[in-house]
Amino acid sequence: MSDEVFHDPNVPQEDYLSGLRLARRDFLLKSGLAAAAIAAAPTWLQSEQAAAAIKASTSVGAVRDPIAANAVAAAKKHSGFSMGRVNEAGPQALDDKNFSGPLWEKLTGIKTNLTEAPFAQIRTKIITENLAKSGALDSVEVSPAWIPDFADQGVILPIDALVRKNKAQATVADLHPLYRALARYKGKTWGFFDDGDVWALYYRKDIFANAKLKAAYKTKFKRDLRVPRSWDEFNQVAQFITDQMAPKVYGTGMGRALGNPGNQFYFFQQFRANGGRFFNPQTMKAEIANAIGVKTMNQILLQNKASPPGVEKLDFVSGWGLWLQGKTAMIMAWPPTGRISENISQRDKAFSFLPKSQIVGKVGYARVPGQNGEHAGAFIKCVMATSENQDAAYLYNQWATSPSISLQRVMLPYTLRDPYRISHYRSPAYKKLWKGADQYLVTLAEAANDAVLDLSMSGAGDYANALDRAMTSMYAGKDVKEALDEAAREWDSITRKLGVAKQRASYANFLKYPGATSKNTIRKLGQAIKV
Amino acid sequence: MDRHIRWLLVTPAVLIVIALTIFPLGFSLWVSFVQYDFTLGPEHPWVGLDNFVENWKDPVWRASLWRTVWFSLSMVAIELVLGMLLALAMLRPFRGRRALMTLFVIPLFISPVVVGGFFDLFVRRPYGIANQLASWVWPGTVTIDFSNDSPWLYIVLIIADVWQWTPFMFIIILAGLAAIPDTLYEAADLDGAKPRQSFLFVTLPLVLPVVLIAVTFRLIDAAKLFDIIFSLTRGGPGTDTYTTSYYLYQQGFEFFHLGQGTAGAWMFMIMLTFVSYWLVRRLLKPLEEAA
Repeated sequence: MSDEVFHDPNVPQEDYLSGLRLARRDFLLKSGLAAAAIAAAPTWLQSEQAAAAIKASTSVGAVRDPIAANAVAAAKKHSGFSMGRVNEAGPQALDDKNFSGPLWEKLTGIKTNLTEAPFAQIRTKIITENLAKSGALDSVEVSPAWIPDFADQGVILPIDALVRKNKAQATVADLHPLYRALARYKGKTWGFFDDGDVWALYYRKDIFANAKLKAAYKTKFKRDLRVPRSWDEFNQVAQFITDQMAPKVYGTGMGRALGNPGNQFYFFQQFRANGGRFFNPQTMKAEIANAIGVKTMNQILLQNKASPPGVEKLDFVSGWGLWLQGKTAMIMAWPPTGRISENISQRDKAFSFLPKSQIVGKVGYARVPGQNGEHAGAFIKCVMATSENQDAAYLYNQWATSPSISLQRVMLPYTLRDPYRISHYRSPAYKKLWKGADQYLVTLAEAANDAVLDLSMSGAGDYANALDRAMTSMYAGKDVKEALDEAAREWDSITRKLGVAKQRASYANFLKYPGATSKNTIRKLGQAIKV
Repeated sequence: MDRHIRWLLVTPAVLIVIALTIFPLGFSLWVSFVQYDFTLGPEHPWVGLDNFVENWKDPVWRASLWRTVWFSLSMVAIELVLGMLLALAMLRPFRGRRALMTLFVIPLFISPVVVGGFFDLFVRRPYGIANQLASWVWPGTVTIDFSNDSPWLYIVLIIADVWQWTPFMFIIILAGLAAIPDTLYEAADLDGAKPRQSFLFVTLPLVLPVVLIAVTFRLIDAAKLFDIIFSLTRGGPGTDTYTTSYYLYQQGFEFFHLGQGTAGAWMFMIMLTFVSYWLVRRLLKPLEEAA
C-alpha cells in the first residue's frame, strides 16, 4: 500500500461514494435478473452438494448419515403432503427453493410450500397463523430469543419424544456446546438448532500491515498497531484509520438503521463485555442505564464517529457494501462476511445484490474486541403446534439439520446459513472453499466459545425494540443518560405489564444459558471446543 | 310472497355486511376490554378500561397523537395553498396545459409506500442525491442527514406527503373553480372589481364548499399517516416520527399487544369522529342556511 491511503484534504468527504452509487444501481438491475435466472434454472441436481446429500440420505455404509437416512425412510409415508414452511426472505429462502425443498421432495415425495418474510416478520407470521389456528405452517424458523414466548404460549411443539422415537439423539452431540443449549427451555427441546450466527471481527490484513500506518500509529500512541482486543482500543484504532485514510477508507462502518439489523445487538454485546447485566435478578429493575450502560453507549457513539457519514441510517447490507468495496477497515458482523469477502457467495446470481469483493485475500478474522461476540439472531427449526402433519414437519427438520445435510447447506454459495456443528468446523470440504477458510472456521468456533446470547426471555422482542429505538435517538443527538433512563423506564413498564414474578422466573431461566453473561460463556464453563 | 322475496334478496347483502363490518367491529370492541396479548397467554380475562388507560399513560402514544395533529394540519395547509395556486394557474387554457396536468396528477397513482421508499433513496446518506442538489444552490458542500436530523426529517416527511397529495387538492379545487359561471366575473368586472377583489368576493366564497370537502377528506386521510413513515423512517430515530397509526400498528402487529392496540384504535377513531363531525357540520352549514 502506498501513500495514497492517506487522507487527501481536497477530496470532499462524500465523494468516496461514487462507487457505492454504482453498487446500488448494480443491485437494482441484477436482483431483477437474478430472480428470473434462479426461477428458470434450478441447477441444484447437478451440484456436488446435492449428490452428497442424496448419498448421505439413501446409501448404506460409511457415507450414510443415519439421522438423515432415518428421517427420509420414516417420511416416505407422508408422500404427497404439502408442508408449509416459513423462512427469511431472500438468500435464506433459496435453501428451501433451490436445495432442501426440491431434494426433500425427491427423497420423500413431500412438497414444500414456502412463505418468505423479513426476519422480524417471521415472528409476526408465526404468531398470526397460531392465533388464527390456520394450520398453514408446519415447519418454521424460530430465533432462539423467541423460544420462551413461543413455548409458553403453545405455538411450537416440544420434540423430545419424537427425537427418541426416531433415534436422533446423536444429532445433539455434534453441535457446538453453545448451540446445544439454545433449543432447550424449561427442561424440554423445542427444535433443532440450525444457524451459527455468532459475531466476529473481520479486518483488513493489508491495512494493519501497512508500514507507514504502523509507524504513524506508533508515533502517536507509543505502541504497535494491532487488531484491537478491547473496545477502547477498537475505537482508538478505528478513529486513527479514519483520520489517516478517510474518505477512501474508514476505520469501521456498521449498519445502525432502526431495526436493521437492530441496534440492541451492538449494545447487548458490549454491555456484557463491559460487565453489565440487564436486570436486577431479584427486583427485575432494568440496569441498562447505569454507568456501564452509559460507558457502552458512549463507546458505540465513538464507533459511529469513526464511520462513514450517514452510518446512523445505513442498513446492515449497505454496511456490507462498504466493506466489500474496501471502504472500511474493520467490521463486526455475522459469519457470511467471511464468505462474501472472498466472493464465495457472489458466485451465485442470488448474491448479485452485493458488489463483488475487492478485498479478496486481504481479510483476517478475530474474535470481537472484549472477546464476547454477540450470538445475534440465529434460527432453530421448530414444529408448529397447529400443524396438521407434525410428524412430517419434524422429520424434515431432523433431516435438514442432520450432520451431513446441514454441512452441505452451510456450504451453499447462496443462503446465509452458518457453521454450527463441530463437524462443520472440522470439515475438510469446507476448508477447501477458499484459502484461509480453515482460519475462518477456527475463529467461528472460538467466537462461539466466548459468545454472549441475545436476551432470550418472555417479552424479549419488546425489550429489544425499546432499546433499539433509544439507541437511534442517541445517534440523532439525544443525551445518552436521558435516553438510557427512558429505555430503562420502558423496560420496567414492560416487566410490570408481563408480571414481575413471571419475568423474574423467565430471566432466571435465561441466566442459566451458557453465554447469558460474560461470566458464564462456554469457555468459562470449561466446555470450549478446539478445532 | 313478494314481501318474502324482497327479504330473500337483501339477505346476502345483510349477511355480508354483518360478517365483514359489524362482527369485526363488535369483536374489536370486545378485544379492547379484555386481556388479548400474545405474551400474556391465551386466556382473555375482562380488564375493563385498563387497555385504554395503558395507552393514555404511554408517553409514546401521547407524543404520537400530538405529532399526528401537527403533521396533519401542516401537510393539509401546505397542500391546500399549493393546490389552490395550481388550480388557479391551470384554470384557463394554454398550450401544454393537458400535458402539465397529467404530470401533476401522476403522484396520486403511486402507492404511498413507494413514495416513502423513493424519498428514502433521495435523502439517505451516503447514496441519496439530496445533499448534492442542495450543494448546487447553497455555498459550500452540504452534508445534512435529512433522514436523521431534526427538523430535516420532519420537513422531508411533510414534503413527501405534500408531493403526493397536492394533486388531489388541485383536482378538486380546479373542478370547483371551473363550475363558477363566467357571468359572475363579468358582473364583478362591470361593478369595477379588481382581480384581487374578484378572487376574495367571488371565487373564494363559491369555491369554499368544495375546498371544505377536499380539506375534510385530506385531514381524515392525513391523520392516518402510516405508509410513508413505515417506508421512510420506521418511526425513528427513536420514536421521533411515530404517528398514532404507526404506534398502533406496532402495538398490534409487531408486539401483539392486541388489546392495547385495539383500544388505542377505538380511542383514535372516536377522536377522528369528533373532528370529522365538526368538519361536516361546517360543510353543511351553508346548505342548511340556504334551506
